[in-house]
Amino acid sequence: MKVKTGLEMRLGGIVSGLVMLCSGAVFAEDASDTAENQVAQAAQTGQSPQVAQEEPTLEPLPQTTLNFYGMPGIVDMPSAEMLPEGQFATTVSNFGGQTRITLAFQPFDWMTASFRYIVVEDWNIGNIATYYDRSFDVRMRLFKETRRFPSVTLGMRDLAGTGIYAGEFIAATKTFNTQAWGTSRLPGRLKVTAGLGWGRLGSYGSFGSTGNRPARPAGDLGGNPGYSQWFRGPVAAFGGIEWQANDRLGFKVEYSSDAYVTETQTTSVFKRRSPFNFGVEYQWTPRTRVGAYYLYGSEIGVNFQIQLSPYKPNVQPRLPAPYPVQPRPDPQVDPVAWSTEWTASTAAVAPYLRDQLAPLLVEDGLLLEALDISAETAELRFRNLRYGSNAVAIGRAARAMTRVLPASIEIFRLTLVSQGLPLSTVVIHRSDLEQLEFENFASDQMLVETRFTDPRPLSEAAVQAEDLYPNTSWSVAPYFTPGFFDVTAPLRLDVGVSLRGSYQPAPGWVIAGRINQRLFGNLDGGTSSATALPPVRTDRVLYAQYGTTLNQLYLARYWKPSPDLYARVTAGYFEYGYGGLSTELLWKPVNSRLALGVEANYALKRDYDQLFGFRDYRVATGHASAYYDFENGFLAQLDVGRYLAGDFGATLGVDRVFNNGWSVGGFFTRTNVSAAEFGEGSFDKGIRFRIPVTWFLGSPSKRGVGTTIRPIQRDGGARVHVPGRLYNQVRGAHRNVLSDQWPRFWE
Amino acid sequence: MVRWTRAAGLLLGGLVLVGCAEGPEPAPLQVEIYRAGQQAIAKRTQARDTGTQPAPTRAFLDSLDVPVQEMIVERSNVVAYVIKHFETRDNLPGQVQVWRTNDDFSVAMRNGVLISTRGFWGDLLSSSVQVSGSEPGPSHEGEHIQMILARDNREVPFAFGCELTDLGQETIEIVERRHTTQHIRQSCEGRKGSITNEYWVDKRRGVVMQSRQWAGPNIGYLRFRRLTD
Repeated sequence: MKVKTGLEMRLGGIVSGLVMLCSGAVFAEDASDTAENQVAQAAQTGQSPQVAQEEPTLEPLPQTTLNFYGMPGIVDMPSAEMLPEGQFATTVSNFGGQTRITLAFQPFDWMTASFRYIVVEDWNIGNIATYYDRSFDVRMRLFKETRRFPSVTLGMRDLAGTGIYAGEFIAATKTFNTQAWGTSRLPGRLKVTAGLGWGRLGSYGSFGSTGNRPARPAGDLGGNPGYSQWFRGPVAAFGGIEWQANDRLGFKVEYSSDAYVTETQTTSVFKRRSPFNFGVEYQWTPRTRVGAYYLYGSEIGVNFQIQLSPYKPNVQPRLPAPYPVQPRPDPQVDPVAWSTEWTASTAAVAPYLRDQLAPLLVEDGLLLEALDISAETAELRFRNLRYGSNAVAIGRAARAMTRVLPASIEIFRLTLVSQGLPLSTVVIHRSDLEQLEFENFASDQMLVETRFTDPRPLSEAAVQAEDLYPNTSWSVAPYFTPGFFDVTAPLRLDVGVSLRGSYQPAPGWVIAGRINQRLFGNLDGGTSSATALPPVRTDRVLYAQYGTTLNQLYLARYWKPSPDLYARVTAGYFEYGYGGLSTELLWKPVNSRLALGVEANYALKRDYDQLFGFRDYRVATGHASAYYDFENGFLAQLDVGRYLAGDFGATLGVDRVFNNGWSVGGFFTRTNVSAAEFGEGSFDKGIRFRIPVTWFLGSPSKRGVGTTIRPIQRDGGARVHVPGRLYNQVRGAHRNVLSDQWPRFWE
Repeated sequence: MVRWTRAAGLLLGGLVLVGCAEGPEPAPLQVEIYRAGQQAIAKRTQARDTGTQPAPTRAFLDSLDVPVQEMIVERSNVVAYVIKHFETRDNLPGQVQVWRTNDDFSVAMRNGVLISTRGFWGDLLSSSVQVSGSEPGPSHEGEHIQMILARDNREVPFAFGCELTDLGQETIEIVERRHTTQHIRQSCEGRKGSITNEYWVDKRRGVVMQSRQWAGPNIGYLRFRRLTD
């Protein structure tokens, strides 16, 4: 349709303010439940759903508040509440010289897990003036709250650390709605909690005992679950009340069953004069809550809570509206448009069509790699440079094809490419695009009609993108390298500038490098601990002494040796500590949830200055890996093989991966290194998370920020970090992920 | 020498703050963050600069040769103008028209009944609506299901049972021009809430001249007025 340019300019400018509308939007807390129930109920009963009077909204539920341990609770005591599924919470609390920093995550609606770092001043036991420690908690809901009965939760605190916070509990919480105090969009809520505690939580006012609670073995290095202690020993009652007076203000009072024996009797961190704690909290923003407290009759405390939900973006992501599918003319009305005479000169037509299509793709952040056309079929190979979800990229590429390709071409084969490697082919009928775009349930119907297959070789008639190879990319950007839990400073950080460059001489070939220039930081002041193993990771501080370093320089080759197989060979300097040769082979059928891989590396330890030299340590390391993508959003990976220190063993990792790119997970490694050889922590383990840039910036992006946090980095179970591993590149273009994100095909 | 050192320091400092990138590979994270910040500032500035534009006059509208609708997002009271970009027919009853703003928001309507939005956040992905032939507006009572993009890239259905009420003839004025219309109210009830869509239909011309339609819980109600044919 012809539109006046002047008109567009005048009218278009008026509407740019539309982008602001998102700031007032609300998001689904229980949306899927609501809607699915509606449909299910209507289907099952054949009756109209129960009527409500207001416009349906997706207002978030009131916040579950967190205690001083960063878990749902009152002040210092736990409650039986759960965070919303997927919630990610960070809490910093302090009272009586004790600071606790907790990361908590709700992988299921019935389970909360957390990792905590604590600092206790005035510890003064042995030669430790200030005590630092890490601990893990897990809590599981046994019963969900009903109209009559409370929710009941069982929890274990510090279940695998050195045990100073070890305690178990079973708690029940009942919630009552009350009148809101003042102006509030939510009613008030009164939450009453009662529970029984063991260990630390059974140390004050115990009224009985469930057997003997054995002490942790002398010289225990932590890291192992303390099964023998769980729910053993003196048991005491605790309880409390929380009143969320309105959507901002809350009051808490509790009776604590924690005697703080070590802190107040063995040493004198603070004075415990009363079992009662009191607090007032304020919901500062929808994500942040602050609280002030009076604890144990002697101490003022503060608590700062941040809760993030992968389901509720910080900035509502918005994509520009796509151009709709361009329908073909009726063949009866315009038979010439459907003619296949053009196939007689495919060699001339194909480059023309490629040149027409490429700029349309570029507008949508896609890069044409190749176009292969015949009378009825077109295969587009393209890169997705912009969208975290490949479903968006495929939907937009398909619509662009309808605007360019001859009417006789009915079958679109869309092949996503990364590093020159074709990842999967999505096969779509053009007539389905034309018929379904404005259909009811357009996403589901399109998914039913779509096939996902392994990429096949291009025909000889395929035209490659002009001037795409060879190509060079470079960037200059700041970098930040954190270091966690050094004995002298819990958080260390280096900040500098990174010069990155990559050269792709042909599809599948990459030469890439990265030079770091540190500007300031304190990683170089860390400590290097003694080790019984080859110092494959504990000598990190020796590498941190140098300001200008060649972080990476490598040559990589990616290719598909046969259907369902993906291969990689990388040679050069992989990371700060290691270089060498790395090879990888991955078996991953497009429609399979299972993937199997093998990786074999010959790793050479780099000189501390991180220039071109190597030290006198080299090791053959590698793993056989199995990956499984569960239907409920969990991804499991098992690696079995040889690690950097020459130890043999296995790593199991489980991550909750959200469709929007969030992921939170954990892993542990057991090898033939004994706990004594490994040192503190007994074995390698950690948590990791990734937050997509789109979630907090709103603009489309494939990137994310995240990190891996280990309680302690030792040498056992350590692996070399090779850039460009295959699985994560391949997975996002395969059926499971694409179909989960398919509603975005039409976005 | 000092000048060069200072210049190099400033250059380096600038690069640290912003970063830069060239080539076909995606830019590093820090560069993306900087670019996103730049775009956000530009959008806010543009919104502020264009926020007080005068409403179009009939004389101006008569000079246009494209169909234009006024669209108001009730929740934010933002006024937009959408131009008919495209129309098509598919296997379902009615004619589909796609209306688009110049800054990449669009809505699709089937016989004037809203069936999808694009470019908002939490878009209305698709709708089942009750229309027939070329009759403008909803044609009969029945089920109305809206599919909303929400919650971790998933599609969430909102199902309603809808009734139609003919409120009789009404004369409405749209930018200095009066239209005789039939006022039809569509009352829809679901388990978690109810919505009311309103249509002012010019049956003689077969056009919905004015409407107020719900576009899902993220967008809320949109109001449309047909400014030009």
